Amino acid sequence: MKKLLLTCLVFAGCETANYAPIVTMPRKTDATKLQRGRQLFVHRCIECHTLPPIWKYSNEDWPKIVNDMSHRASLKAADREAVIAYILAARNM
Amino acid sequence: MSKRTLSVLLPLILPAMCAFGGVRHFDFLYEAPTAAPGSVEMENWITWKHGSDPRFDQVDFRHEFEFGVTDRLQLSVYVTDWNYHSPDQEGFTLSDAALEAIYNLSNPVIDPVGLSIYQEVRAGDRLVEWESKLIAQKNYGRWIFAYNATLEAVWEGDDLDERESEFTQALGASYEISPRLSVGVELLHEFVFPDWKDYETIRNVFVGPNVSYRRGNWFVTTAVLAQATDTSGEADFQWRTIFGVGF
Repeated sequence: MKKLLLTCLVFAGCETANYAPIVTMPRKTDATKLQRGRQLFVHRCIECHTLPPIWKYSNEDWPKIVNDMSHRASLKAADREAVIAYILAARNM
Repeated sequence: MSKRTLSVLLPLILPAMCAFGGVRHFDFLYEAPTAAPGSVEMENWITWKHGSDPRFDQVDFRHEFEFGVTDRLQLSVYVTDWNYHSPDQEGFTLSDAALEAIYNLSNPVIDPVGLSIYQEVRAGDRLVEWESKLIAQKNYGRWIFAYNATLEAVWEGDDLDERESEFTQALGASYEISPRLSVGVELLHEFVFPDWKDYETIRNVFVGPNVSYRRGNWFVTTAVLAQATDTSGEADFQWRTIFGVGF
């Protein structure tokens, strides 16, 4: 039972890391903004659908996707910028 | 500001202020994420219960307004709960109104388990109900797994002297076929305590599929659960549909 639980936890860790990785080395970007972007990404998107893998869409597609979804996700302009900054930073790690 | 000015301005201002509260992937379970702050959503619930021992049909309607207050707090008002029951009553009966609060503790994607706590109070002229819930959820890619543990206490009757309580465990799994469409399964395990006692040992299990579809600022989720136990007086099946729209 303990092994099963441990396997599940490891599996959960791997899975979530893939979907919303922590950006540890921001380049020319405010670390607070990236943290806020990640927080919004993992909270607001899952109110309607599961979290899309950040590698699913290109660097060019993501800003448009986030802008299109921003009203439904109740994202203000600064929130949108933070989410886009986080996604692009995570993709380019 | 005059009422007339307000009535003209509100429909213009509200859509700009408000956003979608969130989609429900389950009908009989709640999910851990709470609505975004500033969002407003209306949900209409219809539940049809059919039983054959003895034969009855009951249709319950709920109309909920859901408000995202902070990143973690969501409040709801159920403006009217009304129902139709055959053969016990003729026509529709207004049952109660309710208030609900959900507070999110952790996230189902980045935390080991997403957790929220839930509290609802229902009150009518012949009903008072106190319902507490622990909501757990985990997302794995396109899968959403949810678990609810619910404890409710009910006071019914003209003098609110009929008491009943219920503990319910609910399990659900939902798979997202596309960002707009999900299918899944829901299971309810009810422990009913008439007069707050367990001398009748009433246990019910309901299980069945669900489908959820969303588009733009609306969604619809429907689930049909059949009784897997053989409790007389309980519904053979219950079919719930929730239609939500964000303003």
